[in-house]
Amino acid sequence: MPLLLGVYDNPAHVVDSIKRLRNRGFEDLETYSPAPFPEIDDALIDKPSPVRAFTLIGGLLGVVTGYALTIWMSYDWELPVGGKPFASIPPYTIIAFELTILFGGLLTVLGLFLMGGLPHGPFGVTEPGYSSRFSAEEFGVAVTCDERDVGEIEALMRANGAGDVTLVEA
Amino acid sequence: MPPPPTAVATMMESTPAEPDSKVNRDILHVMEDTTFGWLALLLVAIGTVTGAGAIWFYQVYKGLGIAGYTHPIFWGAYIVTFVFWVGIAHAGTLISAILYLFRAKWRNAINRSAEAMTVFAVLTAGQFLGIHVGRIWKSYFILPYPNQRGLWVNFKSPLLWDTFAISTYGTISFLFLFVGMIPDIAIARDRATGWRKLLYTVLAMGWQGTSRQWKSHNRTVLHLSGLATPLVLSVHSVVSWDFAMAIVPGWHATIFAPYFVAGAIFSGFAMVLTVMIPVRRIYKLESYITNYHFENMTRFILLTSLIVGYAYGVEYFIAWYSAVEPERTSFWYRAFGPYWISTWIMIICNGVVPQIFWFKKFRTHIPTIFVVSVLINIGMWFERYVIIITGLSTEYNTSVWGVYTPAPAELIIMAGSFGFFSMFFLLFIKVFPVIAIAEVKELEIHAKAHGGSH
Repeated sequence: MPLLLGVYDNPAHVVDSIKRLRNRGFEDLETYSPAPFPEIDDALIDKPSPVRAFTLIGGLLGVVTGYALTIWMSYDWELPVGGKPFASIPPYTIIAFELTILFGGLLTVLGLFLMGGLPHGPFGVTEPGYSSRFSAEEFGVAVTCDERDVGEIEALMRANGAGDVTLVEA
Repeated sequence: MPPPPTAVATMMESTPAEPDSKVNRDILHVMEDTTFGWLALLLVAIGTVTGAGAIWFYQVYKGLGIAGYTHPIFWGAYIVTFVFWVGIAHAGTLISAILYLFRAKWRNAINRSAEAMTVFAVLTAGQFLGIHVGRIWKSYFILPYPNQRGLWVNFKSPLLWDTFAISTYGTISFLFLFVGMIPDIAIARDRATGWRKLLYTVLAMGWQGTSRQWKSHNRTVLHLSGLATPLVLSVHSVVSWDFAMAIVPGWHATIFAPYFVAGAIFSGFAMVLTVMIPVRRIYKLESYITNYHFENMTRFILLTSLIVGYAYGVEYFIAWYSAVEPERTSFWYRAFGPYWISTWIMIICNGVVPQIFWFKKFRTHIPTIFVVSVLINIGMWFERYVIIITGLSTEYNTSVWGVYTPAPAELIIMAGSFGFFSMFFLLFIKVFPVIAIAEVKELEIHAKAHGGSH
């Protein structure tokens, strides 16, 4: 299927193009952006990133591990002090807190890898639409479409601020 | 799975010329051609580390006696230096995480170098725990691992909290640094050749700035910031509790956690300035790290200096107001006893000198900022020295009072820690982009798009 690449230099134009393309029913889109522009990502992907679930699970796992580890170990090796309970919750809260952050952070990064699709693609090979201009200052919108739609998409991209539209794959 | 040979071969070829941006060229330029000055500094750093390493080997062989540890003081310059480096580590996360959450965009110019300094400072601080315990081969005893004695660690000990806090902090800081660098590594990958191309291709993990990648990346940075913010406040609080949980006069104070956290941010910002002022000058990064950035940092320094200065005052007030004799004696000896020089260095460097930043003239005068930042680094080392040593040297019973002077071995190893830190930082600026390129670009593209539409 043909792959059409539009190159932009204004993020607002990218957002407009994506919205219009999606309105016309072209959903096989990919964008390349040199810097974080949440408006572009939101225009293409409707749902919030699932990474947040990873953080939550990691944090919960951490707090449970923190308390479970400390309390269980206190009773496994009893250290009697003045008839007090073996486990002491206030100091264990510090361990639970640190493990909440640690597990939360580790799982968040795992979420980035899984949900962001990293590592991406075969080693050392970038997508056909990608080039180093997209790690300079330009934006790319790549559309995979049917042959009969090429003309329409090209016109739509140019009307919405694309400086350069090329057919990467015929 | 090894990469296909064709892929590696393609990588070694230079990339065809495409339109590039000035930001990329300016910042990636820092990594190019190794100068004689850089090499000389690196050799000095490695030399100091080697010297300190040799002394440390000797200490392991001979015992902690060669450090100045004598009764009643068994926490000496190693612990002082440990606390010092943990403090330095606080600026990076503060700049990256807290200023990120506050949407303070000026952080973009300095966050990368500050994050890197954080990671290296934690790494340096970590060495001192091993150096201090002496019997390094038993240092894993601090971890809760299953063993034949069925024995577990004591989770009620602040030293164990410290282990968890520092290792969590080290891990999260590293993740923060690495995640933030992925887009920039991809920028470097697209422009590099040879071994660098291979390295960046591995580390960039196929980053192409797609929506899916950016969406996850933004969310990850946000959540890591959210997690790192309470973490950075907790780490130095926990370090302060190493002291505050003991009943030693001068240590046992509720003010310690906020006092230490403010001091850590204070010293961390000073270190970032001490390092970045020469880096900016040498690599001509004036258009990225501007006087505006330095001025904002001096404001932080002024604020934290006031907090630290206030804490110094409150400590004395509480010592007097508590009417506890050992507490009063300890603080009297701080200012007028054998450690008076250290105490006054600390008060003048941390409490008095930074007050010149009330004046805009000094906040924007780079040589002044540099000198003050160096003085603060010195002052903050002495602050930890004063707190730790004076507390231990005049405890409750006069018969166990004593005076401590750092031994040559301790001073050499302390010097080695600066070499250790510098060594990593020098290598870092040659291998990774020292300014967060993608984030700087975000601001530039926004500005350009705005300028174009009006």
